[in-house]
Amino acid sequence: MVTTPPHRRPLLVGAAVIAALALAACGTTEAPVESTEPDAAGESVTVTDARGQEVEIPAGVSDVVALEWNVVEHLQTVGIDPVGVADVAGYTDWAGTGAPLQGEPTDVGTRVEPSIDAIAGLAPDLIVATAGRDEGAYADLEAIAPVIVVEGANASAPLETMYADLRLVAEATGGEEAAEAAIVAFQEHLAELSATVEDRGLAGTALAQMDGWDAGGQISIRPYAEGALLPAAFEAIGFTNGWPGEGDAQYGLGSTDVEGLTVLGDDTHIIYSTVGDDDVFRNQLTDNAIWNELPSVRAGSVHRLPDGIWLFGGVETLTAYLDALVATLAPTP
Amino acid sequence: MTRARLGGLALGAALLALLVVLAAWHTTQGTTSLGLPALLGWLRGDQGGAAVIVESRLPRVAAAIVVGLALGAAGYAMQTLTGNPLASPDTLAVNGGASAAIALAAVFGVSLPGLGGAGLAFGGGLLAALAVVAIGRGRGSTTQMVLVGTALALALQSVTTVTIILNEQATSGLYAWGVGQLSQNGITTVAQLLPVVLIGIGVLLLLAGRLDVLALGEEAATTMGVGVGSLRIGTLIASVALAATAVAIAGPIGFVGLAAPIVIRLVVRRIPGAAHHRVAIPLAALAGALLVVGADVLLRAVLPGAAALDVPTGVVTSLIGAICIVVLARTMAGADQTESMSVLGSRSITRRAWLPIALAAVVLAALMVAAMLMGDRMLLLGDVANWLAGRAGDAVRLTLDARAPRVVAAVLAGVALALSGALVQAVARNALAEPYLLGVAGGAGLGAVSIITLVPVATGWAVAASALGGGALAGVTVLLLVGWRRLGSLRLVLTGLAMSAATAALTSLLIVTTDPFNRGKAIVWLAGSTYGRGFEDALPVGVALAVAALGMAWMHRDLDLAQLDESTPRLLGVRLTAVQVVALGLAVVLASTAVAAIGVVAFVGLVAPHAARALVGARHRVLLPLAALLGGTLTLLADTLGRSLIAPAQLPAGVMTALVGIPYFIWLVLQASRSR
Repeated sequence: MVTTPPHRRPLLVGAAVIAALALAACGTTEAPVESTEPDAAGESVTVTDARGQEVEIPAGVSDVVALEWNVVEHLQTVGIDPVGVADVAGYTDWAGTGAPLQGEPTDVGTRVEPSIDAIAGLAPDLIVATAGRDEGAYADLEAIAPVIVVEGANASAPLETMYADLRLVAEATGGEEAAEAAIVAFQEHLAELSATVEDRGLAGTALAQMDGWDAGGQISIRPYAEGALLPAAFEAIGFTNGWPGEGDAQYGLGSTDVEGLTVLGDDTHIIYSTVGDDDVFRNQLTDNAIWNELPSVRAGSVHRLPDGIWLFGGVETLTAYLDALVATLAPTP
Repeated sequence: MTRARLGGLALGAALLALLVVLAAWHTTQGTTSLGLPALLGWLRGDQGGAAVIVESRLPRVAAAIVVGLALGAAGYAMQTLTGNPLASPDTLAVNGGASAAIALAAVFGVSLPGLGGAGLAFGGGLLAALAVVAIGRGRGSTTQMVLVGTALALALQSVTTVTIILNEQATSGLYAWGVGQLSQNGITTVAQLLPVVLIGIGVLLLLAGRLDVLALGEEAATTMGVGVGSLRIGTLIASVALAATAVAIAGPIGFVGLAAPIVIRLVVRRIPGAAHHRVAIPLAALAGALLVVGADVLLRAVLPGAAALDVPTGVVTSLIGAICIVVLARTMAGADQTESMSVLGSRSITRRAWLPIALAAVVLAALMVAAMLMGDRMLLLGDVANWLAGRAGDAVRLTLDARAPRVVAAVLAGVALALSGALVQAVARNALAEPYLLGVAGGAGLGAVSIITLVPVATGWAVAASALGGGALAGVTVLLLVGWRRLGSLRLVLTGLAMSAATAALTSLLIVTTDPFNRGKAIVWLAGSTYGRGFEDALPVGVALAVAALGMAWMHRDLDLAQLDESTPRLLGVRLTAVQVVALGLAVVLASTAVAAIGVVAFVGLVAPHAARALVGARHRVLLPLAALLGGTLTLLADTLGRSLIAPAQLPAGVMTALVGIPYFIWLVLQASRSR
């Protein structure tokens, strides 16, 4: 027989705790507004974003939040340092060399579920997202500021999609001139690099860009097929894509395993980048006979590019990527 | 005796022959076109494709065989050990613990292939199994152990899923691994771990004679002088080591350790003498190997070349295993025995029902207020007052505008899942019945993902309707497969688990093949999240709750009687079938709309009704309100912590219900057993 516990006491204690908490939680973190004044009817621009949606944006935006890393770069290219960036540490690791982060943006959480609270706290003029992510949050984000969505990638026209995204960001922020100048500079640089590639006798060299991961001792390889941004960039300066497989419709990425790499042609150069010591090609594959017997590996044609050049970036990133590529394949004597 | 041996030997030889054929076929499949002629050439000494065969094909088939052997043997031993036909590396959470350990290690930058990885997996798997056995101690033959184990496995699975998803840049390859994949980087891993598997199976064979005695019952074994304690510890360690090794080689390959032993148990009954463990364990091991190799052969035959890489082998074994289990659930002896509802909380902790209900209501109300204040931006009550009065500043207004619907969605979905679980348990008279375990939640998730994939701009109502369609279809399928009169049986749980695994496999397949880079979608439909939800998303579940409340007010007394047995309610003039149909219909609507609102959140529908039952007993007049309050509280607490703990990043509600739910659940089980 269990004795009846004193029921009153927990109730009283609970009530006291709740009351104490309630008292402690009183007050405000932000002053109330007396009346919501109508926005001054300033100038505005209307752009059509990748969703096909017309978005009206007040002219002269300065505080912009970027929810994907490609958008961070596009904004910086048109002269706007974003006030909020999703996953700042990740950006620094994966994209910080090709397009270093300007200013000191606030971290607004992950790229998968960015924090509405943090974004609202920044009171931005504009939020830029990339298609295929964050759809669930568009309604909340649009309550904070106008939202434009860039396409991010389209395997049917990779470079053009990147330009279109940059131009969309420029149109929304009034940075058209800077964007056009950056595109022209990039294309001039492509021409210079083409000449270099031609001069060094590298024209037509097949390159296979890929990522590699180790998961519990298993190796998976992600090759960049026709339609991915990086192959489109190196094809523009005279290289060819050595990966024969197909990729997905948006990013142009395929998947394979080590065995699948045996389809690479004899003269193909394998190109990859990663961050830090996380290098399956140099760590995990060194004892793999298939890998070691690949003609590319035997010929020493495996190249790791510098860390921090984002794989899905904009003109600055691609410039850094191609410069690194040419420097690796044809070191200046 | 001779004939008995011959029967087992013949079966073993047949399985082995089939395995050799399938393994040979498997070796001719891969991402290069290297096929049978090259394989035959290599056997004759032609070195053309040697590297691919030696470094890729042979390690892969070796991995498949070793993993299958380990899982089959481990599952068979675990079933004898616990006296429970549902015990397996999956349902005792060994797979879950092992894979969570490896996934967490990989995310923190520790990659230990081979023995290191196996050690880590062993640690995680053993901890999970010990937790399950400790909670279910002494009642191993009841459903309680599987209840605890399945709950823990679900929790650990969502930890693994979300760990992988949130660290997307570092873990892209881990996603496929998290479901189980066979590809190998050379033979090293398998070669290092093969001795562990052989020793594990060897130990089980050494214990085989004593396991035969244990299978007769613990008392019989003790009478016959078998040291039950040491036998249990030895069997447990050997079988956990086997299962953990399998995870270290290929990730958690689902359902092999459940399906293969069940098939063999069924078959060996008909062969004289083969039911002895020294015969049956090797047979179960062979069946496991056949299942894994067969699943991978099928996958690669249907999706040739690199296409097969996007679909982890574990998805296929789960589907094949699910079909096996559904078929066997209809024929297995003992599967239509009914389990008593009184497994957990037959006696309530308190006699005064109003007290826990009032406390739970106060806690939920306080938590709702706290949830409005907590998050990435911490607020104070004055902010909420200003917001309610419509004079809050922009940052507070926007934060609360986004936060309020998430709080509402979490509470309503939690309430709906809890009520759904309570209704199903009353109708099925089955302590394990629950919308998630019965596949209703999984079916609803599959329905919702399907419409989102087909119609990208689908609204809240369309998603809810499609979820309802999927949930109802899954529920009706399970009902038809089980049979109306056997809802209280193990068959229901087996069929439901199979349906749940199959829908989860199909959902992940659909997302991986149609929208591989949309991690947010994967989180919602594989683990559950309130992120970005608006009031319009929560509206369908609110409507469902209103309808269900009326229904439950009308029939709560009938439910009290319906949960007793078939005859009592009929004698008392209750139209039992009508009550059961209405209750099940309501349960499906509640679970499906909840899933449409916040995704596939496991655990709540299982835990909340059980807790309520343990606290106030089985009268639905008090059970249903308390279950609803507890369900809402659990989901909201999980979501609030998920929004606040690692801000500005957040953890989805699905993983947090698991993490919040585990200690709560363990505590309640302990409470219930103490008051017994």
